[in-house]
Amino acid sequence: MDDILAETRSGTAGRIGRRMIWLLLPLLLLLSLTLVIVPVFLIQPFRPQTQRALEISYVLRDWSPLATVIMLVAAFALVVRQWARARRWWRKTLLVVLLLLTFVPAWFARQNHFEWMFNPLRNSAYVKAKDASFVRDSDMVLAVKINNEAVAYPVRLMAYHHVVSDVVGGTPICATY
Amino acid sequence: MKDEETGSWWQQVTGEAIFGPLKGKSLKPAFMDELTFATWKSEQPQGRVLSPDEKIAAKGEYAPPDWEDRMSRVPVATQVSAPTLDQRELVVGITVNNASGAYPVAALQKQNPIIDKLAGTPLVIVLGEDGKSIRAFDRTVEGHEREFFLKPNSAPLRLIDDKGTEWDFTGTALNGTLTGKQLTKIAVLKDYWFDWKTYNPKTTVYTLGER
Repeated sequence: MDDILAETRSGTAGRIGRRMIWLLLPLLLLLSLTLVIVPVFLIQPFRPQTQRALEISYVLRDWSPLATVIMLVAAFALVVRQWARARRWWRKTLLVVLLLLTFVPAWFARQNHFEWMFNPLRNSAYVKAKDASFVRDSDMVLAVKINNEAVAYPVRLMAYHHVVSDVVGGTPICATY
Repeated sequence: MKDEETGSWWQQVTGEAIFGPLKGKSLKPAFMDELTFATWKSEQPQGRVLSPDEKIAAKGEYAPPDWEDRMSRVPVATQVSAPTLDQRELVVGITVNNASGAYPVAALQKQNPIIDKLAGTPLVIVLGEDGKSIRAFDRTVEGHEREFFLKPNSAPLRLIDDKGTEWDFTGTALNGTLTGKQLTKIAVLKDYWFDWKTYNPKTTVYTLGER
């Protein structure tokens, strides 16, 4: 009964609006997903990158945390709007599923996924040269000496972490490999 | 690399910010040596060594000891045009006065030390006795260019110049009036040819028999 009343009130425009929502929701989800997937696709290990691709990725990584939340809020508003009108249980389920899926890119935009593969060492620990049993004599090290403080960064560890921040002889350095 | 303060993206090899608020700025390079652990330890017995993260080590995720051999077989993503060397050939990369030179490690293994001049700077490139550690120095001593040779049958490794001064692998003079004097160190980057060529497109390549 309510359904019929609502329909007569808004007429054809309401019907189109309702269909639009079913179109808009997946579209929002798709757009949101695209924002976070494109940088992953453009910056792949063992694939060459162009200046342009990096530029696009940088802009997307910069904006996606905000943009994905805006789209999530918009999706939420659409779901709320559609909720009362969706009479069938499977329509309600679909609304919930679409909304939940929109959370995925919003969460992903907040992850530094590059760090999933390349783990920077946040709390780096050091031992004295004579106690470093984990390095073989023939292993290569990156050696830095500043103001009489000498530090060795074993290449085998650097090949995993890639970036280690340290202070050597009072100078803040970033060792990379 | 990304810094957490401004979110700028930095190019690892050059230390230049390529995107973000600090775009165009460059990090000051810290002098770095790539040595075998044994050579470093003998020179810096009081030094400290980065230790592995226990969790990562337990999972066996750190690079295996033969990692460099394995990497030499990984395909190369960046194609450099008209390669004069194999893409994965290791070179000693040197930049002085904005000029870049690549010295194949294989050439250095055949001819140690390599004597060259790059953009007016006289260089001596030395392979350590471990066969892996590499250093380079400016051959200018007291305002004059000197020639350097490997002192035959010496262990540890010694260089001797055309004036009879002997030098060790750290570039320190061991005899005569120069005793204790240090040759000016030149930064070297042991790199794959494809990578060096990408960041130094105008690099020269040293070939044996050039002199």
